[in-house]
Amino acid sequence: MNQRKWFKLAALLMAAAVIGTGCQGQTEKEQGQKKGGSTVQIDFWAAPNPTQQAFWKKMADRYMEEHQNVKIKVSPMPESPSSEAGIQSAIAAGNAPVISENISRGFAAQLADSRAIVPLDQIEGFDDVIAKRQMKSTISTWKFADGHQYVLPIYSNAMLFGWRIDILKELGYNAPPKTYSEVIEVGKKLKEKYPNKFLWARADLAKPTWWARWFDFFMIYNAASNGMHFIDGNKLSADRDAGVKTLQFFADLSKNKLVLMKETKDPFESGTSVMSDLGPWAFPYWAEKFPEMKFNEKYVLSMPPVPDGMDPSQAKTFADTKGLVIYASATKEQQQAAFDFVKWVYSDPQNDLEWLKETNLPPARDDLSTNEAFVSYFEQNPQLKLYAENIPNAIPPMDNAKMVEIQELIGKEALNPVVKGEKTPDKAWEDMEKAINGVLK
Amino acid sequence: MNKQATKVGWLLASPYLVYSSVFFLIPLFWALYLAFTNWNLISPEYETVGMQNFIDAFFSPSVRAAFWVTYKFMLMFVPIVIAGSLFLALILHHLPRWKGLFAVGYFLPYLASGVASSIVVKGVISYNSPLNQFLRDAFGWDIDWLGSPILAPLVIALMMAWKFVGYYALLFLSGLENIPKEVYEAAEIDGAVGWKRVWHVTIPMLYPSFYTVTILAVGLMFGIFTEPYVLTGGGPEYATHTWQLEIYNQAFEKLNAGYGTAVAIINSIVTFASIFVFRKVLEKWGGKHGWE
Repeated sequence: MNQRKWFKLAALLMAAAVIGTGCQGQTEKEQGQKKGGSTVQIDFWAAPNPTQQAFWKKMADRYMEEHQNVKIKVSPMPESPSSEAGIQSAIAAGNAPVISENISRGFAAQLADSRAIVPLDQIEGFDDVIAKRQMKSTISTWKFADGHQYVLPIYSNAMLFGWRIDILKELGYNAPPKTYSEVIEVGKKLKEKYPNKFLWARADLAKPTWWARWFDFFMIYNAASNGMHFIDGNKLSADRDAGVKTLQFFADLSKNKLVLMKETKDPFESGTSVMSDLGPWAFPYWAEKFPEMKFNEKYVLSMPPVPDGMDPSQAKTFADTKGLVIYASATKEQQQAAFDFVKWVYSDPQNDLEWLKETNLPPARDDLSTNEAFVSYFEQNPQLKLYAENIPNAIPPMDNAKMVEIQELIGKEALNPVVKGEKTPDKAWEDMEKAINGVLK
Repeated sequence: MNKQATKVGWLLASPYLVYSSVFFLIPLFWALYLAFTNWNLISPEYETVGMQNFIDAFFSPSVRAAFWVTYKFMLMFVPIVIAGSLFLALILHHLPRWKGLFAVGYFLPYLASGVASSIVVKGVISYNSPLNQFLRDAFGWDIDWLGSPILAPLVIALMMAWKFVGYYALLFLSGLENIPKEVYEAAEIDGAVGWKRVWHVTIPMLYPSFYTVTILAVGLMFGIFTEPYVLTGGGPEYATHTWQLEIYNQAFEKLNAGYGTAVAIINSIVTFASIFVFRKVLEKWGGKHGWE
C-alpha cells in the first residue's frame, strides 16, 4: 500500500472513531442547521417523571401546531446517577439543552455561579409571564443575591406536616398541636398510651445527607424565624435565636424519645409514627397502596409548629420547588424562542390546571387557592388546598453555590449531634456557624 | 516479519488502538490534567492549583475514612464470599443432576440491580419489618442495623456477598471440574477421605480459582457505590463512606470536579498497590504449594 492509501485508511478510521464517540458532533451539526434555516429547534429536557414528560410533550405539540417555525424536542433529562449530575455532564460535554425544568433554586445557584444559565429577567417578556401567571409574590423570594431571576418556578410544594388524626383523637385531641410545648405534650401522652409508637419517624435526622435538611431543619427553622434567609449572598444571615430554638425543639423530641431514627417502612401509614413531613407526591402513592388514608379521617395537615409565644397562623415553611432555566450555551434566538414557548404555556391558567391534574404538583402561582380555574379541582381534592394556600408562605432553598456543603454542615455540626445528645443547641449552633463561615470565605 | 505483515498487523490492531485512545488514553490524560485544577465541571473558567487538591485530599477526614472503610469492607466481604462461594461450589459439584440449573439460580442475584437489592434489604431490616418485630417480641432486641458503625458495614458486606456468591461459585465450580480424578484416587490410597480430602487435595488444587476470586473480590471493594449510596449515604459517621461515594459527592454534589479527580487518581493508585500486594502474597502462598 502506498503512503496515500495509508493516509486514506487512517482518515477513515478516525472518522469511524468520531462517529463512535457519540452524538456530540451530530448535535452541533443540527444546531448549525438551525442557525442557518428559518426554523428554530429547541431541546427541552423534562423531569425524569412520566407525568411531567407527558405534560410538556402535550404543550410542545400544541405550541408547534400554532408556531410552524419552532421545533421543540421534549426528552427526559438523564437521571443517572442524578438529574443534576446528568445536567452537569451535559454542560461539560457541550450537550446542554436549550431549556430544562426540574431545577431547584440551590442547583440554579451553582449553575448561575458558573454562568451556565442566563438571567431570565433580561429576556423579553419576563414581566408578562409574571403578571399573567399571577406569581409576583411567589417569585419575589426567588430573586438571587445579584438581583436577577435565573429560575422560573413551575411548582411549589409548601411542605406540610401530616398528623394521624385518628390517633390524636384517641389521645384526646381534635387538631394537631401548633407550638413546641404542645407537640411535646402530645408526644408524652402518645408514649403513655402507646410506648411503641413515636411522634416522628425520620432516620435522616441522624444523617448528614444535605438534602434531608430541607424536610426537617428548614421546615422548622423557617417557621421559627418567620422565613428569615439562612444565607444572604455569600454571608450567613441566619436568625441565631430562631436557630437555637429549632435545635432545642429537636433536642427535646429526642430526649423524650419521641423520634425514631431508624429506617422504617411507611411509618406514618402504618401508625408507627403520628406525624410526618409530607409533600403532595404522597397522595397518588396512598391512593394506590393505602386507600384507607383518607383526609380528615385518618390524617390532617398542618404548617410546622412554632416556638411558644409565636403566632402559629403566621408560620412559614420550606418550599420544595423546582423551576425552568435557560442555558447560556444556546443561541440568543433559541433562548428567546424557548422563553416565548414558556410564556405561551403560562398565559393560560388552564395549562396550569392540566399540570396540576397530571402531576399533583401545585403550580407556583399566588392565586392558586382563589383562581376560579382551580376551585373545583380543590373541592374534589381538599388535601391539596392547604398546599396551594401556603405557597406564598413557603421559602425556597438558599441561592448559594455552596449549598450542598452548607446543608451538610447543618447536619454534621448541628442537627445530628443535637438529636444524638452529643451537643447542646447553643454549642451546636456556634460550631455550625464557624464551619459555614469557613466554607463561605 | 516482513514489512507487509507488519502493516497488516497494525491495520488489524488499529480499531482497538483508536478505541483505546478515544475512550481510555485521552480521558486518562484529561483526568490527570483536571486533578491539578479547580474546575467545577460547568464553569468556563478554572485555574491550575498545583498539588493543592492532592494535599487537601491527604488531610481530608472523608478521604481517610474511604481508605480505611475499603479495608474494613474487605475484611468482612472477602472471607465471607470465598467461604460461601466455595461451599456452594462444593454442593453444586456433588449434585447428581441439574447442576447447571442450580448454578444459574445462584448466579441470578449477581444480575439484579444494586438499587433494587438495596431497597429490598432496606425493607427487610426496617424498624417495623417482620424480622425486627420478631427480634423485639421474642428477645427484646431493638437492633439499629444501619445506625451502628459496626453493623452498617456488615449489612452491606453481607448483601454484597449474597450478590456475588453465585458468580464466584461458578469460578470455583469450573476449578473443581478440572481437578483430575486420578489425584483423588491417589489421595484415597494414601488415606485422605472426607474433609481430609477437601482440605489436603481439593483446596490446594483450587489455587488458580482462589487466586482469581480473591483478586476479583479485593478489586471489587474499591468500587463500591450503589449499596452504601442507597442504604446509608456513607454513614453513620463515615462508617460506610467508600472511595466512589467520596468521588461522586465531590464531583457531582459539591461540584469540585478537579478535587474529585484527584481523589479518583489516589483511589486508582491505592487500588493498584493493594492488588499488587495481594497478588504477591497469593503467589508466595501458591509457590509454597507447588503453583508457579
